[in-house]
Amino acid sequence: MGDFNASMMRGALTLSTFVSIVFFPWPLSALLALAASFFEPLVPLAAGIFFDTLYYAPSAHGLPLFTVCGAVVTAIAFLVRSQLSADSRREF
Amino acid sequence: MKKTFLARRNALLSSANISWGVFALAFAALLLLVRLLAPNLFWQAFTPVFHSADALAAQSHAFFSSFGDTAILALRNEQLTDENTALANENQALLERVAGFEMLKGSVSKKASESIIAGVLARPPVSPYDTLVLAAGAKEGVTVGQEAFGPGGVPIGFVSSVLPDFSRVTLFSAPNMMLQGWIGRENILVTLFGSGAGTMRASLARSAGATEGDTVFTSGPGMLPIGRIVRIDSDPSSPAVTLQIQAAFNLFSVAWVELRDAGPAFAKSFSWATSTLP
Repeated sequence: MGDFNASMMRGALTLSTFVSIVFFPWPLSALLALAASFFEPLVPLAAGIFFDTLYYAPSAHGLPLFTVCGAVVTAIAFLVRSQLSADSRREF
Repeated sequence: MKKTFLARRNALLSSANISWGVFALAFAALLLLVRLLAPNLFWQAFTPVFHSADALAAQSHAFFSSFGDTAILALRNEQLTDENTALANENQALLERVAGFEMLKGSVSKKASESIIAGVLARPPVSPYDTLVLAAGAKEGVTVGQEAFGPGGVPIGFVSSVLPDFSRVTLFSAPNMMLQGWIGRENILVTLFGSGAGTMRASLARSAGATEGDTVFTSGPGMLPIGRIVRIDSDPSSPAVTLQIQAAFNLFSVAWVELRDAGPAFAKSFSWATSTLP
């Protein structure tokens, strides 16, 4: 039951991030994606791709900024998670 | 015989830990694919979503406004009504003068018949790159390079990409945007740089005497107000000051724009800054 609730919470956070990208100002979406990265490291990258799919203007910027930022946050989240899991294994 | 367990070989795709992140990534990749292969279809599918976002914004604004002090709101409403009447009269007088000048000049303006009114689907701050997504495209006669004007004929940007039913306007406030303009009644020539979020900045000699509230103009059909100075950042050790300029109206709530061909003079008045420029 606890796992189910945690999974639903992760799902709600992921969904909220995507809804926010269309409905709310981008700083809120970025904050939600950052919060989701603690549970789902791939969400910032997915949100970044979704952002740039909707709003990226190639003439204005050389790089799709949100995809790049999302990829960086995802990489950091994976790194932190691997470090934490290595530490917890070492304790045993 | 030694048995190998592969349950945690791929934690992302194992059935026990189906990741929401993987679903999200697959969804985003699918949308990106549709956007690249069939952009017009993509925007048609998303138009109702953007319309519902607009409706939600309007309803929430009305809800939060209802908490305001009614006496203050009534007073403000009365002031705005008076101001609106005065501006309408002034506008009418100016239109009459323009018509008179055109008659004297012997030419009839044809811009009204050539302009395209387009609804705005997405705008900052939801759209983070200082771009507008418009519900008008090549079928309505929109072409790349047309100038976009907001309410009151204020120039706000130019059409940067066009699809059959949709188009995208890059605002003058977009980062890396560079635009020639003039400040105040003395017409001091400055280069305006986009700073994002609907704002621009410019550097000017301290001795030029620019003050907060001065109007900033750019070229169009004549000199058009583009914004006003809201703050002047001054460093005592520098002979120049940095002007923070805000658009003439709230770009975050623009509902429609007018698109017109502004001619080669307009195209020459702006350019993209390279990364080495401030």
